[in-house]
Amino acid sequence: MMACSDFRAQFQAGTDDAALLRHLRTCDPCLDYAAHSDPDVMFRAIGGDEIVPPGGIDAFVADVMHTVRLRGAEGVIAPPASTWHRRLAIAATLAIGISGASLVYQVEHRARVAPAQSVAAVRHPVERQITLTTKPAVQAYSSPNATIVEVPSETPNDNTQIVMIVDENLPADL
Amino acid sequence: MIPTQSAEPDDRELVRTIREGSSDAFEQLVRRKTSKVYALCYRVIGNSEDAKDIAQLVFIKLWENLEKYDSQFAFDTWLYRMVTNVAIDFMRSRQSRDNAVNSNLRLVKTATEPEQALIVQRKEIDNVFADISTVLSPKQKTIFVMNQMEDLPSVEIAKILGCRESTVRNHLFNARKLMQRQLQKRYPEYAQLWRSQ
Ligand SMILES: [Zn+2]
Repeated sequence: MMACSDFRAQFQAGTDDAALLRHLRTCDPCLDYAAHSDPDVMFRAIGGDEIVPPGGIDAFVADVMHTVRLRGAEGVIAPPASTWHRRLAIAATLAIGISGASLVYQVEHRARVAPAQSVAAVRHPVERQITLTTKPAVQAYSSPNATIVEVPSETPNDNTQIVMIVDENLPADL
Repeated sequence: MIPTQSAEPDDRELVRTIREGSSDAFEQLVRRKTSKVYALCYRVIGNSEDAKDIAQLVFIKLWENLEKYDSQFAFDTWLYRMVTNVAIDFMRSRQSRDNAVNSNLRLVKTATEPEQALIVQRKEIDNVFADISTVLSPKQKTIFVMNQMEDLPSVEIAKILGCRESTVRNHLFNARKLMQRQLQKRYPEYAQLWRSQ
């Protein structure tokens, strides 16, 4: 760091010199000297240094990343472009799931899930055709990667089957 | 001499990687800018917890709006614009919330003896600034902090705020005047420094 004698020799009112300001910000006797010759320099003394947020930088960064991921998953904020379509597809999938209360599908092995089993997630290993007979506009859905969640009916003898289709390849505009 | 190889991508490269979908690159950017962003928030807002919340909000907005960044401009200018917008908004809402309370409060400061020579110390200046800068508008304070404490020249501040440099200079001039008046009221020993000029 600059010597005090150099600082006092070089200091001038209204200085923007980085080395002088660095000295001013770390040396109280020279701050006192400078403030008596240029009071405007007084508040410059409290700047310049690195300040760490409470809890430290690691915790701060972790909080930010956690919030970003959380909000990204909620669809509150827009993640970078390349993952955008994928998330849109997931959002569309969920929307179908929610509005799918009236969806009926017919499959060859019309296995009903017993109410006691609650929700069963079935990953279909082979491509299968699902025929949808009501709105929304999906009439059929076919994919080797789909995970279909069957929601059991609460009402006896109810032929309505609620399903949620989760598929990363689901088109965004479905 | 061993040639130095920079492993760190610059800000623009990082932004490009983030746009390609890398959250690791975003984390690196947050880590790189935390001190800068937090320091400005802290000096403008004046308390560490609020400053931390605001700084975090800045980074979340940054993530939200990264597509809008035009890489022909300096990244820091764009980042600082976001910091000033969020911090000024916060202070405006806090000001209107606190106005009723503050109007009834007046700091009572025991004046030092006139004969007693004033020793200017950094820690004390910190408190004095926190106290008297409350008379500044959020914008005046932000400009003053950027210029005097973050060492940004007025031309750079004008770019950040999207205004003319003369406007920045006016704000700085008015901020100084208002603070000198407050110094005379509350810290006469410091105000004497100006009077003796
Ligand atoms: Zn010194």
